[in-house]
Amino acid sequence: MTVIKLTTQAYCKMLLHAAKYPHCAVNGLLVAENQKRKDGQPVLCVDCVPLFHGTLALAPMMEIALTLIDTWCKENKYVIAGYYQANERIKETRPNQFAEKVAARIAENFSEAALIMVDNSNISMGCYDPAISVFEHHDNKWKCRDASIDCCEDWSEAQKIMSALLEDRSYDSLIDFDNHLDDLRNDWTNPEINKSILHLC
Amino acid sequence: MASVSDMYDVTWEEMRDKLRKWREENYRNSEQIVEVGEELIQEHASKLGDDIWIIYEQVMIAALDCSRDDLATTCLHELKKQFQGSHRVKRLAGMRLEALERYDEAFKMYNDILQDDSTNTAARKRKIAILKAQGKSTEAIRELNEYLEQFVGDQEAWHELAELYINEHDYAKAAFSLEELMMTNPHNHLYCEQYAEVKYTQGGIENLELSRKYFAQALKLNNRNMRALFGLYLSASHIAASPKVSAKVKKDNVKYAAWAASQINRAYQLAGHGTKETKCSLKAVEEMLESMQIMPS
Repeated sequence: MTVIKLTTQAYCKMLLHAAKYPHCAVNGLLVAENQKRKDGQPVLCVDCVPLFHGTLALAPMMEIALTLIDTWCKENKYVIAGYYQANERIKETRPNQFAEKVAARIAENFSEAALIMVDNSNISMGCYDPAISVFEHHDNKWKCRDASIDCCEDWSEAQKIMSALLEDRSYDSLIDFDNHLDDLRNDWTNPEINKSILHLC
Repeated sequence: MASVSDMYDVTWEEMRDKLRKWREENYRNSEQIVEVGEELIQEHASKLGDDIWIIYEQVMIAALDCSRDDLATTCLHELKKQFQGSHRVKRLAGMRLEALERYDEAFKMYNDILQDDSTNTAARKRKIAILKAQGKSTEAIRELNEYLEQFVGDQEAWHELAELYINEHDYAKAAFSLEELMMTNPHNHLYCEQYAEVKYTQGGIENLELSRKYFAQALKLNNRNMRALFGLYLSASHIAASPKVSAKVKKDNVKYAAWAASQINRAYQLAGHGTKETKCSLKAVEEMLESMQIMPS
């Protein structure tokens, strides 16, 4: 069974998105390199594209985002490999119908797609625990993966860098697709944040 | 740690004006409000005059958002001293209890206000907010509907209702709530655009055509609304591709979609101005629009 793992950049940008809008639900996509994998090799999500904040469950902008980011992926030899969502309420960690629908759509194109729910209560300055639950598609249902499986390629690096980014309030400069739609000059690939993360590595 | 006025080289008047702007435009940038407001209160309280009370209120609510119970309590204390027995202050005390998740006590506080003054809308809305925070969406929706029967002009409440319905995937009722908003705010392009999105999400040819019309209307009201432009492109494309429409409708919608596509490309070109990153996204948009193009059947 294929396991999904996240690089530090993917993990950090996802959590920065949640941290930027603490009072809203947020969602986004995870992308992996589009390459042939050997049996048992995990799917590595190398980047994260933050999409929306606030009211998530509407179709048109999600369709635009999926198509546009799919095109961008093809240019960069990536593939959309996952969907993440952080619910509005701190204690609500289950995926809703909309999350399952989007994840299923992604799975049509990438069979090992993962649905990741951010665990809001585990987001802290110290980043003691990974703040996500990974759901995988089995028998037409999304089932939560065993939490003991490491979700990050290098958890101690991710933890250290995430903590530093939160201290710096880097989330203030994170751009999501909503910000892009408000002003097309806003770049949802977040090159500056990517640079900061690389710098901290 | 450096003070805000040092870090950003601003005067206390500028800080006060910023707070007013955020207050008037209902921004929820609580971290910033706490940073600026706390310094203003601590260093410049005497210069603020009567403004200080509304600033205490604004900073208190922002402090609750940032888990700064110490700051929230200080502000509340000053407000209680100044406005004894005030319902407005009592509501703030209730909000603090909500932030501490002491919902039953908060509930009781709001009920006390309502017993004194049954028309107090703020207390009623906080009770609904508690239901929402507890995940009791069905009850929150029911209470909000009852509230709106009485206070039919409360736009904030209609919008909250629309969003609650969207979260519950009840798009038909969300559309109804947005229709109320559009009736009383016919020039608001955001309501038009969100209504169009709900209609699109509902699906089916009739809803798609309605959604296209409302995306177009939103664009008429604000020709820079990118969501409306993308929405127009999507809805027109889907209608044109549908086997259920007449040849004329197909032809019209191919035209609308083509127009929208050219406008989208233009908007990206204007935003691009030659920087490398935006050149990439311009290319991606062009390709996306091409990949979605409907083949005339």
